[in-house]
Amino acid sequence: MHANVQQAETPGDVQPILRVRDLQAHYRTTHLGLRRGVRAVDGVSFNVRRGEIFGLAGESSSGKTTLIKSIAGVIRPPLEIVGGTVDFAFLPGFGGLHRAPPAELARIRWRHLSYIVQGSMSVLNPVRRVESAFLDFAYPHIGGHRKQFEQQVIAHLARMRLEPSVLTAFPHELSGGMRQRATLALATICRPDFIIADEPTTALDVLVQKEVLGMMRGIQRETGSSILLVTHDMGVHAHVTDRLGIMYAGRLVEEAATAEIFRNPLHPYTRHLISSLPRIGDDAPRAGLVGSPPNLADPPPGCRFHPRCPLATEICRGEVPAIREADNGHRVACFAVERGSRA
Amino acid sequence: MNHLLLDVCEVSKTFVRGGLLSRQTIAAVNQVSFQLVAGRPEILSVIGGSGGGKTTLARMILNIEAPTSGKLLLDGIDLAAITGSAARLAFMHKVQPIFQNPFESFNPLKRLDRYLFVTRRRFSGAAGQGTIEAAVDAALHKVGLSLEEVRHRYPHELSGGQLQRVAIARALLAEPKLLVADEPVSMIDASLRMSIVNLFRTLRDDLGISIIYITHDLATAYYVSDRIMIMQEGRIVECGDARTVLNAPRHSYTRQLRDAVLVPEVADAACGASPGIYDPTSPAAPERRT
Amino acid sequence: MAVLLRNLLRHSPEFRIGAVLIAVVLLLATLASVSPSPPEIVYVVPPDLPPSPTYWFGTTSRGQDVFWQLSFAIRNTLLFGCNVALTSRVIALTVGLISGYKGGWTDRALMSVNDTLIVIPLLPILVLFYFVMRDQISWLMLALIMACFGWAYDARLIRSVVMSLRAREFTQTCLFSGMSTRQILTEEHLPYVLPIVFSTTMNNMVWSIGLEVTLAVLGFTDIDRPTIGGMIYWANQHTAMVAGVWWWIAFPTLTVVVAFIGLFLLAVSANAYIDPRSRLWTTGGAS
Repeated sequence: MHANVQQAETPGDVQPILRVRDLQAHYRTTHLGLRRGVRAVDGVSFNVRRGEIFGLAGESSSGKTTLIKSIAGVIRPPLEIVGGTVDFAFLPGFGGLHRAPPAELARIRWRHLSYIVQGSMSVLNPVRRVESAFLDFAYPHIGGHRKQFEQQVIAHLARMRLEPSVLTAFPHELSGGMRQRATLALATICRPDFIIADEPTTALDVLVQKEVLGMMRGIQRETGSSILLVTHDMGVHAHVTDRLGIMYAGRLVEEAATAEIFRNPLHPYTRHLISSLPRIGDDAPRAGLVGSPPNLADPPPGCRFHPRCPLATEICRGEVPAIREADNGHRVACFAVERGSRA
Repeated sequence: MNHLLLDVCEVSKTFVRGGLLSRQTIAAVNQVSFQLVAGRPEILSVIGGSGGGKTTLARMILNIEAPTSGKLLLDGIDLAAITGSAARLAFMHKVQPIFQNPFESFNPLKRLDRYLFVTRRRFSGAAGQGTIEAAVDAALHKVGLSLEEVRHRYPHELSGGQLQRVAIARALLAEPKLLVADEPVSMIDASLRMSIVNLFRTLRDDLGISIIYITHDLATAYYVSDRIMIMQEGRIVECGDARTVLNAPRHSYTRQLRDAVLVPEVADAACGASPGIYDPTSPAAPERRT
Repeated sequence: MAVLLRNLLRHSPEFRIGAVLIAVVLLLATLASVSPSPPEIVYVVPPDLPPSPTYWFGTTSRGQDVFWQLSFAIRNTLLFGCNVALTSRVIALTVGLISGYKGGWTDRALMSVNDTLIVIPLLPILVLFYFVMRDQISWLMLALIMACFGWAYDARLIRSVVMSLRAREFTQTCLFSGMSTRQILTEEHLPYVLPIVFSTTMNNMVWSIGLEVTLAVLGFTDIDRPTIGGMIYWANQHTAMVAGVWWWIAFPTLTVVVAFIGLFLLAVSANAYIDPRSRLWTTGGAS
């Protein structure tokens, strides 16, 4: 009745664990006669391999939060998936979690897929002790004797450098970092194949952030899970992810190995973004990007970055650049890059 | 000039938690002292982890909260002695705040230009609508915007970066000598952050305004400040010239903070990047990268 | 304002229904001015006649046309309710805004007065007033007394909204822009408080009318002045239900129920529109 906890696949397997094809997710609302449509995700495609940490970088109104909500199947009106498919290797055939029947969803949650939401403090019920979260969410999937389960939980918490006393505490008695680590422990205890993490360290102290990221990396190496990590912080991406996708205004504009993106960014947005970040020890003057992110209810035609792009030409204003392979495994969506010009 | 613009003297702020039976006193700010000299505008960064007391200190400098002990003097005037609307107005003429969340800084139901006009009217005396509009336009130009872009707009119609600039313009209209910016760029997109940070430099150089820049982001602090003050649990643990403090920190906490900074670049082990910045405990696994 | 009404009429079915109901009731109330005879005079028409083409709502045992009596009654009742609601709103707003904004001793003093008034049971007090004042009890007096008791609950609601607004950063921006307390309260905080004021106005009207009807039915008001409660009082005096003169009680009750439903629908639909979140949405703000 209860599934046994299996060993996750070894890293390096070729078949991707997640395939996103041309995903489009819009917010459609009608209120007192006013109709609004926000094209938050407008045609995104990418794969995540097994055992890989895939980062999604983007700023406000880039659509990255909507994208992971769509992938995780957390679709509630006014959000609608209007096109495209999301295929997990462990849930084939439905084209998206929102189309799968509840029985299938119950089977895969926690065991195959877990989701660390933004502001993880709120995942833990404030009026119940931490152990109740483990009992409610993880125990049904792991099964076995209750005592055995508790031992497993304590061992897992130790990996996060948390004392067993955390279990009997209430969430407000723990610090922000401890809560985040507890939530991370909760999300990984069933050794899921895929973890979606939405801004897992944004609200944390810099010192705690480094610790939590290290633990995430450690757990990932041990269990071989794949992680889809979404954050606007490029430093976090550089530190933790294997591959990186850059989102701008609802579209994926660049995707490559993280080292490659930082060493050789191709898209003008990525180039400006990376060069504008200050570093300690470096006194070179830096400048921000001109203009502001577009309004997704009324985005600019063609390439959505063209109003702020120094390389924009006529074709950029009219047509949407498709994301194409520029180098080995390095994809970019930019007419200028295709032409060969550099920012 | 020896005259002090801001003199913070042994300031402490303690909060009491708990009921009758179990009282806990928490010192959010503990014996903090520092000075800003008048006539020498500078950018002073206050850095610390969460709960380090930075925001409480800012609120005390802005006279929103009173210290439990110690004194704060602005231009020689004790903040505790400021009572009455005239004295408060004179105080606000010298110090203005910039808050962390630009969307919270303005009433979402009201238009933005309203605040700009009101500030100008209250701090610079009566004037015709034309004069006021010209002054507002000038202030907006200083931050890289114009009255045309902002007129009749609601806060949600602008981006975070633009809104924060409007907040700075509003503060400038009071013609202050000191700006207290509490994490002014932490909620703004990375690509827009530098334009605001560069703006602070311009304010210091061209307008002679001193800025207290509170942040947890060491990189922007390094980039823009003259002096840095590190706070840990309400106390100042290190204070001095920005470059010196961050390049050669003396206190262990400063060293910890600096090492925890995640550099936005991937050090390739083969290229021999400096190990001090990148965390050696998380190896880049070359076999997994394409 | 006109745009607001037009939008509401166009898009909100509740508002449309509410508007129609209230229009009907108001029409009835305004017809009082063309009534063929003053309401105090009795035995003008044959008594105890059921509804017919000549007497639409029938006639009472006192020889009055129910229709015309009702038009006066609903007019007086509505006026009474409006009076109480408006007066108590003004008091509630003032107390709530000042108390929430100032805090400290002002807040504590005002709230202790507030809480005392909440706790005092109203009906016995009103009955007491009636017995003390007897013939001098006028309709206006009653309205004033009820207004004095009707603001307490809502002042607390307004106060809590203002307290949370006080802690928000934009209030600091206003202060540092040099705005005075009065300016902040009336221009910045009031729009947030208005939805509460609006819905509590309806509440208040319903409450005051209900209480007035209760008192009138018991005979504790100026019974010569026709009100809904008064009509029911006289109907009871003449044992209308037993005598089979059901129309004397049915039509006043029906009218007041229609008025309540109309008011409620208006309040609910207008509230959805006035609510800041909703307004933000329509102007394109936070989703």
